Parts: sequence; structure tokens; C-alpha cells
Amino acid sequence: MWGIALRHIFLTMHQLERFADLFIFPIVGLLLWGFLSQSVAFASSNLAVFFIGGLILWTMFERVGTGIGIDFMWDIWERNLMNVLASPITLVEHIGGLVWVSIIKVIISIAAMWLIAALFYGFNLGSLGSSLVFLWANIVIFAVSLGIFNVALIIRYGHILGPLTWIIPFAIQPFTAAFYPVSIFPPYVQKIVYFLPLVHVFEGMRYTLSTGKLDLVRLETAFVLNIFYFVLAIAFFSYMFSIVRKRGTVAKL
Amino acid sequence: MTTKLLEVENLTKKFPSSVKTSEGKGEFTAVDDISFSVSAGEIVGLLGPNGAGKSTTINCLLGVIKPDSGSVTVFGMDLQKKRTEIMQKVNYCSAEYNLPWHLTVYEALLVFCHLYSVKNAKERISELLGLFELEDLRNKAVRELSFGQRARANLVKSLLNRPRLLLLDEPMASMDPDIVDKGIKLLKKIQKENGMSIIYTSHNMWEIEQVASNVIFINHGKVMAQGSPLELTKQELKLETKEPDLREVFIRLTRRKEKPL
Repeated sequence: MWGIALRHIFLTMHQLERFADLFIFPIVGLLLWGFLSQSVAFASSNLAVFFIGGLILWTMFERVGTGIGIDFMWDIWERNLMNVLASPITLVEHIGGLVWVSIIKVIISIAAMWLIAALFYGFNLGSLGSSLVFLWANIVIFAVSLGIFNVALIIRYGHILGPLTWIIPFAIQPFTAAFYPVSIFPPYVQKIVYFLPLVHVFEGMRYTLSTGKLDLVRLETAFVLNIFYFVLAIAFFSYMFSIVRKRGTVAKL
Repeated sequence: MTTKLLEVENLTKKFPSSVKTSEGKGEFTAVDDISFSVSAGEIVGLLGPNGAGKSTTINCLLGVIKPDSGSVTVFGMDLQKKRTEIMQKVNYCSAEYNLPWHLTVYEALLVFCHLYSVKNAKERISELLGLFELEDLRNKAVRELSFGQRARANLVKSLLNRPRLLLLDEPMASMDPDIVDKGIKLLKKIQKENGMSIIYTSHNMWEIEQVASNVIFINHGKVMAQGSPLELTKQELKLETKEPDLREVFIRLTRRKEKPL
């Protein structure tokens, strides 16, 4: 029995996803549901609408953000990456292709969610009006930045860091205010979370659902932050790629 | 005058290493100042023991790894500057890698036709599947293929774009002799018809004797010997023979501690 236990202790030390099972998932779960419970205590009449709207927009982010990294890892898992890298396409074109695929997949998912939400919960995503386009664009840009960041980590450190693809979105979820207002957070946490474009997106969504108006200030703030993170992700990716070409590790993925 | 399709000059590639040298540098030289060329229509065997630098050389020729110094010129163009253009007419195959596992053979090949901008993709795939006796497996998932079938599908992929230069890194490793024999014959037939150049690495000396007109032997990243299989046999084994014996040459060169060429 000790031998079996020892094997799993070693695995936990070496595998990020097992380590996440131990600490990150339970803690993040507690944070998310804790904040949610607090928000219910101060619930407004729009609570159900906020939940469903938040869930649909969060799904958009999560699908695109994780999709890029997972699709990239498929080439590693299937031992096909070298065939792709040896072809005329560049790694940038490869990532570009993955971004397009993720966006197309999320459009299909959202169409299905839009229909189901309308049929089962009477929630019309179209009630967000023109705001939906801006919210969607901001979510996709941030998700793409995160996807590029993840791929950069994978090409540099190998698929041992692959689980970050789904751990990062899960870990930041409680701090994005997807399901409750920012005011729920302690003041010092509020100051930090405003650096996340998603916080402005979800606040903007709730504002539009409550008032029917566009929250331009929040959407513009999200956009400026998104441009910053996108440039940062591209620079990080370029830096990591130059290192792996020099070290030759990309051929060993 | 023979046209040089590929020219490699003073290629050097070092990798960081956890083992420190006497100068305190933690570096390992995988490819050490090697130069060689490949003419149009020539098949060159790249030989050497494990860790000699064969795969690193091939990865440098594919532009996947950036060399520390030296130059690679393909079709008269600098690989560093014109990689995309060059790779349209180059292809690669290794038994170590697979086609996308969950796609059918046809789907996987169609994906690569798009990556290489192959015109008349459907006809080209059918033509090659027929040649490699894989027509019946076109709708089978790649993961369901046997090892030999998978290797043949990899070879089909490497010929989709009618490459002028084909890099084969142990393409038939771990295959039974019957499949290797069939594969070699087919490859030679296609090469004769198309006139493409091939760089072929293998640990099976028989394969190299069958295909290569010229052999480059590398060890510790350096070129140790070069010549036709027969020339190398005569030169390294110091005997008059009409049959090449690359196996013995391989052992002799791997154990030799003399300076490289």
C-alpha cells in the first residue's frame, strides 16, 4: 500500500494538475461560492438575469482561452507538432489558425446557449443590444491573449505546464466578478481586480442589463487593458519562441 | 556541372548543458562546424551513432532550430531569410512522429496538402495512396493503422508537395524487413521519376547501402568520413572489395578516436 501511495505522492509532486487538485481547485471553489453567497445576501431583482448573462459571457472567455492551448497540445499529444513545424507555415500562422478555430467554436457554442437560455429561462442574450458586440470583442481579445501566453509557456517548458491552460481561467474566475458585483470584494482586492479586463466586461454587462444603456467607460477601459495584455502576450510568445529555437527544445515537444 | 541543391557551410549548433566544461561553460556542441552539399537527384545517407548530431542537423535544415553559426542555402536561397518559400519544395518524414491521430488517413493528408498549398489535392492523395497500397485505408483513423501502415502514410505525407529535397530521419525505424524492402524500392522508383534529392538517416546499414550514392558519417557533431558506400568500405576497412559493408565501417568509425575530416 505504501508503494502505491508513494507513487501518487511523486506524481503529485511532478504533475501540475494533481497539485491543482490538492490546493487550487478547493481554494478557488471556496472563493467563488463564498463571494456568490455574499452577493445573494444583497440580491437585487435582476440576480437570475445577471447569473445567466455572466455564465454565457464566462463560457465565451473560457472556451476561447482554453481552446487555443488545448488544440495546440493535441499536436503534441498526437506527436504531430514536428510535422507541422517542418511545413512552410510559421508558428505564428499556426497559432493564428488555432485562434480562428477557437472563435468559430465559441460562436457555435454561444448560438446554442443563446437558444437554450431563451427556451428554458426566458433570457434573451439580444437584450444586451449593441453592448453585446463590445463585450464579446473584449472577452475574445483577453481570451486570445491568455491562449497565446499558455502556448508560449508550453513551447518553452513542455506539456508539463499544459494544465495551466485550464487552471488559469479557473483560478481567476472568482476575481473576474462574473457572477457578482465588484463591490462584494474587500476594498484592497477591488483595487487589484480592476486590472482584469473581464471585471469591466462583467460590470458593463450588469449595467446594460439593469439600465438598457451602454457603459462606454467600462468597455473602453477593458479595451485599453486588453491591448496592453495582448501586446504583452505577443512579446512574451516571441521571446519564448526565440529561446526554444536557440535551445532546440521545440523539436523535442 | 552538377547543380547544388543544398549547401551547408560551417554549421554549428550548441545546446545549454547542465555539465560544465573546464572553461566553466555549460554547453554541449551537437553540430560542430560541419560542411557538405547535396546535388540535384542525389541521395545522401547521413550516418552516425545515437547523439552524433544527425537529427539536430536535419532540424537545422528544416529551420526548426536556429544554428549558432554557419549557413544553409537551399535552391540558392538562404534558409534563414526565405524559409517559407524554400519549405514549399522540401518535405520531411520521421517514424518518430505521427499524422494527426484521430483523423482518417485521407483527412490527415488533406490537412497537409493545405499546409503545403498542394494543387489538385484529392488527385495527388489518391495517386500516392495507390502507390503505397494504402487506398483501402483512406477512411480509417490514423490511430487504427499498424506500425508499418502508419510509416507508409507518413511517407505519403512527405511526398504530397512533390518535394525537390526530402529529409528522411529514420523513416523506417522498427519496421520488419519486408516492409523496409518494399518502402525502399518504392522510394527509389519515385526518386528516379522525380529526380528529387534525399537526405536519409538510418541505423539500418542495409537501407543506406540500398539507397545512398553518397554517405556522410558524423560523430560528436563532426564529419568523420564521406564518400560512396563502396569508397568508404575500401577506405576505412583498407580492403579491396566490390561489395559495400557499411555496418563494419560504422563500427570502425564510431570507435575511432582520430581527428575528423
